[in-house]
Amino acid sequence: MTAGGPILLIDTATTRAVIALGGPDGALVEQRGWLAGYRHGEELLARIDGLLADRGIATAELGAIAVGTGPGAFTGLRVGIATAKGLAHALDVPIVGVASGIALLDAALAAPAAAPAPAAAPAPAQLVLLQPAGPNDRVLTRRGERPAILPGGTDPDIRPGERLVAVDLAGRADEDAVALGEAAVDGLAAAMLATAAGRLAAGDADDLATLVPEYVTLPRGVRMPPTDAGVEVSGSQPRAERS
Amino acid sequence: MTGPLLLAVESSCDETGIALVEDGRRIHANVVASQVALHAPTGGIVPEVAARAHLRWIVPVLDEALVTAGVTMADVDAVAVTYGPGLAGSLLVGINFAKTLAWAHRKPLVPVNHLEGHVYAGWLLDPGDAERESPPFPLVALVVSGGHTFLVEMRDHLDYRYLGGTVDDAAGEAFDKVGRLLGLGYPGGPAISREAEKAVARDRVFPRAWLGDSFNVSFSGLKTAARRIVAHARADEGLPADEREGALPDRVVAELAWGFQDSVVDVLTAKTIRAAEEVGARGIVLGGGVAANAALRARISGEAEARGLAMVIPRPGLCTDNGAMIGAAGARRLAAGVRAGLDLDARPSLPLARPAAR
Ligand SMILES: [Zn+2]
Repeated sequence: MTAGGPILLIDTATTRAVIALGGPDGALVEQRGWLAGYRHGEELLARIDGLLADRGIATAELGAIAVGTGPGAFTGLRVGIATAKGLAHALDVPIVGVASGIALLDAALAAPAAAPAPAAAPAPAQLVLLQPAGPNDRVLTRRGERPAILPGGTDPDIRPGERLVAVDLAGRADEDAVALGEAAVDGLAAAMLATAAGRLAAGDADDLATLVPEYVTLPRGVRMPPTDAGVEVSGSQPRAERS
Repeated sequence: MTGPLLLAVESSCDETGIALVEDGRRIHANVVASQVALHAPTGGIVPEVAARAHLRWIVPVLDEALVTAGVTMADVDAVAVTYGPGLAGSLLVGINFAKTLAWAHRKPLVPVNHLEGHVYAGWLLDPGDAERESPPFPLVALVVSGGHTFLVEMRDHLDYRYLGGTVDDAAGEAFDKVGRLLGLGYPGGPAISREAEKAVARDRVFPRAWLGDSFNVSFSGLKTAARRIVAHARADEGLPADEREGALPDRVVAELAWGFQDSVVDVLTAKTIRAAEEVGARGIVLGGGVAANAALRARISGEAEARGLAMVIPRPGLCTDNGAMIGAAGARRLAAGVRAGLDLDARPSLPLARPAAR
């Protein structure tokens, strides 16, 4: 199964919000980004409206929604995923949640800035992503491992041969890492669309109800409960009473 | 249908509510995913956990509401959504979801103040309820919940004059804190109400903070007094001061719960009745989670009835946060020409005020 129509991509995991249109095969058609800071909600829908209008695409033509699940800024992720869910529900199209962190690593790898320096060429496993998480902490994403939280003041343990990709950390990380981070954000839409199209082709869309963002920080001592724990839905007829 | 059908979304705190309400009164569906049990282990709401639960439940709640009402989005005339006050992260989920539904289905988007939702719950009719008169203007509304405690005068729809409110804690917070002191767990309100019912001796006196002639109330002094009174009761029972080291006998817990609740109910009732008399109100509307408290409902209704004032108290399930109350208020705002644009954002400290048409 492919998307059957253009894929609309939303990523709000970083302070630079990204929206894009891709073909059903995942090829990037157009991307737009803007500095949203931590106020992604004010512009996101108007920007989507503008992108579709400029491209002459009606909402009903969209074939799928792809959305970044983080890790990243909580505020942005909530806005992006709530918007993506609303769209997928309204248009009755599949939704694919793509790990923004891994997509940033994919994008960094493809970026010219990651081109082999004469001394050493980074292999895929050697790029690691560093992003802020909350006011003081940071989060480190390594391919094949769960994102790890670095409490304020802790330095990432960069293993021999690894190269850092720093996003949203201008002035707080090496220039080289920040430059690679900027290149990664530029290539994020293409990387995410490729992943989303691959998942759609494999029939691997997400469940619209249960898709939630990747959270890595919580107040000290609080554990994130299992997704379905502790919630009671009430106010409608018992299921058994319905035909 | 006699009036517009609104799809209304509420996500300001720890309930994800979506309702279908006709003409600002008739409930066709009112589905609530409550996170009370989710936050019980931490004894309070953790905002990050709440926001994720909203994201997890918002689609199933919407589907359930549409199925229950037997409608599709094509039947909906407008989408209403709470945009404040409340927890920013929680509000953002409902706002952006509702905004997207409205945009994709080309429906007007109506921004609603959560607090006026609690007031407008007084207009709601459950499916199958007989028609009844709307609350009469002028009226005084008392909203009491975990986050809010205030009195407003309304001379017409969407017209609010603030009369007074808590100068420190909300009533619901005081219930939670005293519930913890008495070893009753979270949330404190329903537990204290349940224990107070069992009290045989009803003579434990907790202080009242009258704050003079104003319509303001204070609960921080009551909370301090409660700590002292509970400590004395523990000493009387020969128990150590730390409430984790041995529980008070059930009889004493019930008496203390009754005494505390009586103080809160006494002050809230007296201020509300006096406010109604002073502004010449014809009726009183009670709303908010604490309005589910049986003792408060009984006392304030009795006092209102004795004075010939119409008393409107929604059933408990409509006093706690839900989507239908947002649909009731949203219909008034829709009729008044109030609309939100695609840039609608969360307003965590939104004050209650007459909305401007747009
Ligand atoms: Zn409320």
